[in-house]
Amino acid sequence: MDFNLPGEDDPRRVKVRSWFEKNPNPTYAQLAAQGWTASNWPEPWGVSADAEMQWIIDEEIQRAGLELPYTINAIGLNQCGQSLLTHGTEAQRQKFLPPALACEEIWCMLFSEPSGGSDLGGLRTTAKLEGDHYIVNGHKIWTSVADHASVGVLVARTDTSKPKHTGLSMFLIDMHSPGITVNPIIDLTGNKNEYNEVFLDNVKVPADALLGREGDGWKLAIEQLQTERVGMTKPGVVWGMGPTARDLMDGLIKTGRISDPLLRDDAAKTYIEGEILRLLTYRNMSNRMNGKPAGFEGSAGKMLSSPHGQRMADIAKRSQGAAGMIRDPDVLPLPDKKWGMFSDWDYAYWFSPANTLGVGTQEVLLNVVAERVLGLPRDIDPTAKIPFSELSGGRAKAAE
Amino acid sequence: MNFALSEDHEFLRDSAAKFVDERVDLSPLLRPGADVSAAGYDQLWDKIVELGWSAIAVPEVYGGLGMSYIDLVMIIGETGRTLAPSPLFGTLAGAWAIEKAGSEAQKMAYLPKLAEGLKLALAVADESGSYDNMATDVAATKAGDRYRLSGTKSFVVDAASADKIIVSALVEGRKDFFLVDAETAGVEIEVLPWRDITRQVCKLVLKEVEAERLEQSSDQVWPWVRDRLYLVLAAESASGIRAVLDDAVSYAKQRIAFGRPIGAFQAIKHQLANIAGAAEGANAMVQYAAWALSEGDSRSSLAAAMAQSYASDQYKEASHRNIQVYGAIGFTWEMKNHLYYKRARCNAELLGSPASQREQVVRFLEQEAA
Repeated sequence: MDFNLPGEDDPRRVKVRSWFEKNPNPTYAQLAAQGWTASNWPEPWGVSADAEMQWIIDEEIQRAGLELPYTINAIGLNQCGQSLLTHGTEAQRQKFLPPALACEEIWCMLFSEPSGGSDLGGLRTTAKLEGDHYIVNGHKIWTSVADHASVGVLVARTDTSKPKHTGLSMFLIDMHSPGITVNPIIDLTGNKNEYNEVFLDNVKVPADALLGREGDGWKLAIEQLQTERVGMTKPGVVWGMGPTARDLMDGLIKTGRISDPLLRDDAAKTYIEGEILRLLTYRNMSNRMNGKPAGFEGSAGKMLSSPHGQRMADIAKRSQGAAGMIRDPDVLPLPDKKWGMFSDWDYAYWFSPANTLGVGTQEVLLNVVAERVLGLPRDIDPTAKIPFSELSGGRAKAAE
Repeated sequence: MNFALSEDHEFLRDSAAKFVDERVDLSPLLRPGADVSAAGYDQLWDKIVELGWSAIAVPEVYGGLGMSYIDLVMIIGETGRTLAPSPLFGTLAGAWAIEKAGSEAQKMAYLPKLAEGLKLALAVADESGSYDNMATDVAATKAGDRYRLSGTKSFVVDAASADKIIVSALVEGRKDFFLVDAETAGVEIEVLPWRDITRQVCKLVLKEVEAERLEQSSDQVWPWVRDRLYLVLAAESASGIRAVLDDAVSYAKQRIAFGRPIGAFQAIKHQLANIAGAAEGANAMVQYAAWALSEGDSRSSLAAAMAQSYASDQYKEASHRNIQVYGAIGFTWEMKNHLYYKRARCNAELLGSPASQREQVVRFLEQEAA
């Protein structure tokens, strides 16, 4: 057992850092050419980096003042892109992966629908094969970055005669196709348009855009959501990203606000939770390096991390009092790092209700942990075994 | 960076698990009116000594096994999981006090006896349960090359079964550590009606008791020992969380209400899933603290305080949830749920509250930032 992380003089780090010294302000295409935008992927896409090497590369990218590639193109580089490595065709890999790795084509995930997000299996969007293409009709919602994405990872129903989970398929679609309308959703922060709704009206999708086989949609989607949850097992304020409880504690100490007795104990609690999430991240890395299958850390991590981020953001706000209720005053100092949209506590706080909604609600995640990890009886879903087309109410009608 | 337990650690844990599963019997404690005297407190001890557990963390030069704190928590995890009653906690505490405060000659004189079954206790807290370094609970006066101690200590774990007791006492404005033979005239030990009847906790009254000063006594001794005791309690608590979780999960699968196992209801599922998260977190933090203490890492003291604070708080909550999942039957003396509930609650007070450890966390971080 050894909790030491690769140090400043680690030869692997020295090598990466010297590249950045020779190539100041690199583009993501340059990083991709080094195999560093998805370093854990096998060659030629990545460098088959083990967890420590990936850690080093990520730290050096941040040290160079760049946002991490997989926060810019999360769906392409984390959740979905990896599916192409195992389930895609060679033609699909050659077409989609190079621009994704260079962060030139941003991907989005067309999963949730107005009829339900956590109950993904009940989605109503359909894809009908007509000759060499599918015709897609439906309505997606809560789609991050759809407004500037080039590639959409779509789950749609290709067979309504099968029960809800089995008639689904996955496609990689061109977001600029005719028939696609993207409308931004103004979320409660009012700050930025993180989310969108996407209308798909007779969209023609080439048959070779199908990932895997027809009917694989549910299996692929679950695999990708699990990858997403593991990626969220980090101590950052929103889904593992952004400032951590260490940064919060630093800020509270530097500003002297830590001496507020009404804040002090809660700040310590949150700090400890943050350290635990850090340890679970390390355990994840370690398991990967030791070739052990991903354990409970992924689900547990997301389950702990979402409410942790909410508490952390709340403490940041409480430390500011009434002054924190004015829009965008980032009262607490943050270290100089690029965290993308969560680089200020104000936005992180107002955004944080989404922590326990995104990637399935906290309640559904607790069900998943209780059923799959603890082996408690499955919840009753009266719609699980019935052919989708025979379901009563609006569901069946919309699918036909 | 490697978080994995080695095969040696896993072997140690598995053999400890086999031992406690075979030997620990809590049933005598489940008869109403039972107290700690029914815990079979001394019956495990001979075997524990035989296995070398009492000397596991003692350096080899002093006759111990010289193993790491990671090895130690493999064992404590198992004794904690089963609430195994024995004088292990007091003996570890006393041994650490001698290791840190004793001279070379004193360490050579006493520590090797641990392997032969010597039982120890460490008396630091006063009658209010405070570990305040400068309290005048026990005073030491010099008498030739020996000392005489007078005063009262309390919350001394395993004192009534100890052969020797290490006592902190005020002398010339310092708090030094002294070794007292439990059989010496003037030593009075009263077993307290401590709520956790799987642990023996005592009050110690000393009247002009002859004592030997531990020659390397300093104000660094107690914080050093305390960090290790935090680790022991945290390791007990972390495995206790797992024990009450497994117990509640298995009950929730069997118990039928409204035509379904109660574990099918989300109100129950969600409580148990949250405990599973806490169990994972506490386990990770305990292993980290054990590693940090073994390595002498600069953050080891922080890690120990974090582990104790988090694990004992979460154990309190989990053992309470365990009773809730059982329903009213879990509220009876004849079920073992209350033994865990009481162990958890008492572990969260014995060395100061989880909030006091969080205060230590913040002070550590303030100093680190300064």
